[in-house]
Amino acid sequence: MSEATVSTQTLVAEERARSAELARRADSRRRLVQNAGVLIPFLLVLVIGLVAVPHFASASNVTNMLVNAGILAIVGFGMTVVIAIRGIDLSVGSATALTACITAATVNAAGPLAGSLLGVVVGAALGLVNGVLVSFLRVPGFIATLSTLTVFRGLVLLFTGGAPIMIASSSFKSMATATMLGVPVPFIAAVGIGAGAVFALERMRFGKHVVAVGGSPESAVDSGISVTRIRLLAYLISGASAGIAGVLLASQLGAVNASISRGLELQVIAIVVLGGTSMAGGRPRVVGTFIAALLLSMINSGLNLLNVPSFYQYVALGALLVFALTIDGAQRAAVRRMLEGRRS
Amino acid sequence: MSAVLQVEDLVQEYPGVRALKDVSLEVRRGQILGLVGENGAGKSTLIRIIGGMEQPVRGQVHVHGERRVFHGSAEAQAAGISVVSQEFRLVPELSVADNVFLGHELTRGGVVGARETRRRTQHVLDRLGLDLAPDRPVSSLTVGDRQMVEIARALSRDFDLLIMDEPTAALNREEIQRLHEIVRRLADQGKAIVYVSHHLEEIFEICHDVAVLRDGSLVTQAPTAELDEARLVEHMLGRAPQRFERAAGLASAKRVRLRVHDLRVAGVPSGFDLTVYAGEILGLAGLVGSGRTELTRALSGDLPAQSGTVEVDGSTVRLRSSRAAIRNGIFMLSEDRKGEGILPHLDVTENAMVSRDRSSLPWWKRLVPIREDEGALFERLRSRMRIQVPHGRQLIGNLSGGNQQKVLLGRALLSGCAVLLLNEPTRGVDVGAKVDIYQLIKELADSGVTVVVSSSDAPELAAIADRCAVFFAGRQVAELLGDEVTEESIVSASVGQVAQEDRHV
Repeated sequence: MSEATVSTQTLVAEERARSAELARRADSRRRLVQNAGVLIPFLLVLVIGLVAVPHFASASNVTNMLVNAGILAIVGFGMTVVIAIRGIDLSVGSATALTACITAATVNAAGPLAGSLLGVVVGAALGLVNGVLVSFLRVPGFIATLSTLTVFRGLVLLFTGGAPIMIASSSFKSMATATMLGVPVPFIAAVGIGAGAVFALERMRFGKHVVAVGGSPESAVDSGISVTRIRLLAYLISGASAGIAGVLLASQLGAVNASISRGLELQVIAIVVLGGTSMAGGRPRVVGTFIAALLLSMINSGLNLLNVPSFYQYVALGALLVFALTIDGAQRAAVRRMLEGRRS
Repeated sequence: MSAVLQVEDLVQEYPGVRALKDVSLEVRRGQILGLVGENGAGKSTLIRIIGGMEQPVRGQVHVHGERRVFHGSAEAQAAGISVVSQEFRLVPELSVADNVFLGHELTRGGVVGARETRRRTQHVLDRLGLDLAPDRPVSSLTVGDRQMVEIARALSRDFDLLIMDEPTAALNREEIQRLHEIVRRLADQGKAIVYVSHHLEEIFEICHDVAVLRDGSLVTQAPTAELDEARLVEHMLGRAPQRFERAAGLASAKRVRLRVHDLRVAGVPSGFDLTVYAGEILGLAGLVGSGRTELTRALSGDLPAQSGTVEVDGSTVRLRSSRAAIRNGIFMLSEDRKGEGILPHLDVTENAMVSRDRSSLPWWKRLVPIREDEGALFERLRSRMRIQVPHGRQLIGNLSGGNQQKVLLGRALLSGCAVLLLNEPTRGVDVGAKVDIYQLIKELADSGVTVVVSSSDAPELAAIADRCAVFFAGRQVAELLGDEVTEESIVSASVGQVAQEDRHV
């Protein structure tokens, strides 16, 4: 027999080494595609912006880009958690608009602090509605949040009556433009919240459960994890982060109306997926979301400075979303090719 | 002696099946109870109910004499029941340590104590004699190691009752022996253990008592000392084990039907070489993760081959998709009948006709299948295959596993395939239908079809295969011919015994 020299132990050891090697290669390939997918466009846009776009690096434009990126990233962190559990939240744009309008009215009536707090609470409450729909009433996330997208937008129109709300408090308005050591406050807030999200996802029980629910729901159930609770919390977090973004947006704009942050959900989904969080669930990437938020903010600002009509900007956003999803697909296909045969 | 667990009159029903019929059972402290039965006898259902993963239709579960109703596995775990499930319940994205403590994390204020988790995981892994870094992601482990992690996970909990559902299905011989020692030690410490296995010698080696399930009923419970293997098999089958007539020798004029040369797929170290003759039944044996599944998937076009050639009847074929495979005469029936086999919302006729070779039909009949034609064809199929359905319009989803499998075999027959690949052909099939299916496979082979059966059920291969290739860790380690194809030889080759003995020669 030709196998006479092969013993069980060596066979097993070889198989082990091979399996580890395959997984390592699959992982490095995944990381390569993910990083290339967000870092190359990031550097490309940065260089083109610096070279070809007038006033791109001016102080006011940099501040503007950082504020926008900060707001985008904050909504993106919530979305990252939702997508990591295999869900999706399409209502974030409407939720941001609703909280911004409620915040504006409350600031005028009861002061900046009350307005800000109420904004975050309202955002969380809207997220809770989505969470209850998805986890207790078992409505698929896509449908549930598509419905609440319309409902929340309708509520904004009802609340404002179609008229814009001007914010009187100048201290509230200066919040979004204030800087610490030259860095705008919303950007610092985004860094802080992002760090909190990384800690919660990597080090806390909640994060392990998010990965378990997104990566393998059956295993999560059999491990005694309450999948319902984790889903509810994920949507709640997404709502709350939309609430924070709404407060910052109201402060940045100074005047809010019913049509603000229309289409925000697509921008946010684009940055989350571009950042490497897979639509297949189980792999949240907060840092990726953050970098992609900066990227999108640079693209928007560059197109604005070049006076590109807004319909081209829609095309650009759509293209970016398609690109992000292609990268996600390519990344998954690469891993599958690598690990084919094993259930990954 | 106090009973740790007592179940009374458990009944569980799934649509169309009565999975458990009034099962009552008792496990005491320090007792290792073997639970045996054929595939589909209800073992897994019973375990899922005790583990809180399913709720029974009727019946009671008592833990330490107290009646309990579990609404989920967390409650069963809290009551001291730890389960090693047959299907792996691991999260591939998390590390070994995180998986071991998933659901009962070591936390302070919600923050996971990473160092403590790693340390305790290392401790459990050491106990199992598993040399594995707790930080490795589970996605990088071999199937055997995953099984060990699954066991480590059950051991990491506080438990009074440990349920192990086929814990050795993917383990090699040394690992199995180490596991047996651990199980004995746990019993000596006063834990109660329910041990499920298909390998009867394992049951006789470590179990004090054995309970036999057949078609959802508990048929016997007795000390293992009072039984021998033949008696146990009789209890499992409900009759003396049936001997199958193996075709009288291989056909003298052997014509090569399928030739596989150095077929390589990702994740398997060496290329597959295989020659199968027309009318032959070739068995593929090996533990879970041995590579036989990859082989059948590659042959059915489900898994892209990296290199190598496949010839059917002398001509080289390219298998880039399942469709290409079927066109070239290779048809596969998957082990996952529900997910990849039946079309549950179509009736049995449509299910049988879906892959039918229509090339000889006039074009209008290909475009619009004539109901009467197909009905008549199904009637012929029904009598030939002994499918028990009231009429051809019966939805396939409501049939028993055995009848579903017969319809699928009919589908393969109508596809006009030259090579039929069967993966676990009798999983979830009851005893009576099993005999029928073996008979049908024989008839197919006698009519000239080449049948390749991949199975984890050694007696099954012993019963039907003319020749058997045994795989271990991605290589073919043995080929058994004719009379050598016995349960013992398959099992010992599967757990690496052949290679082991050869080393000492």
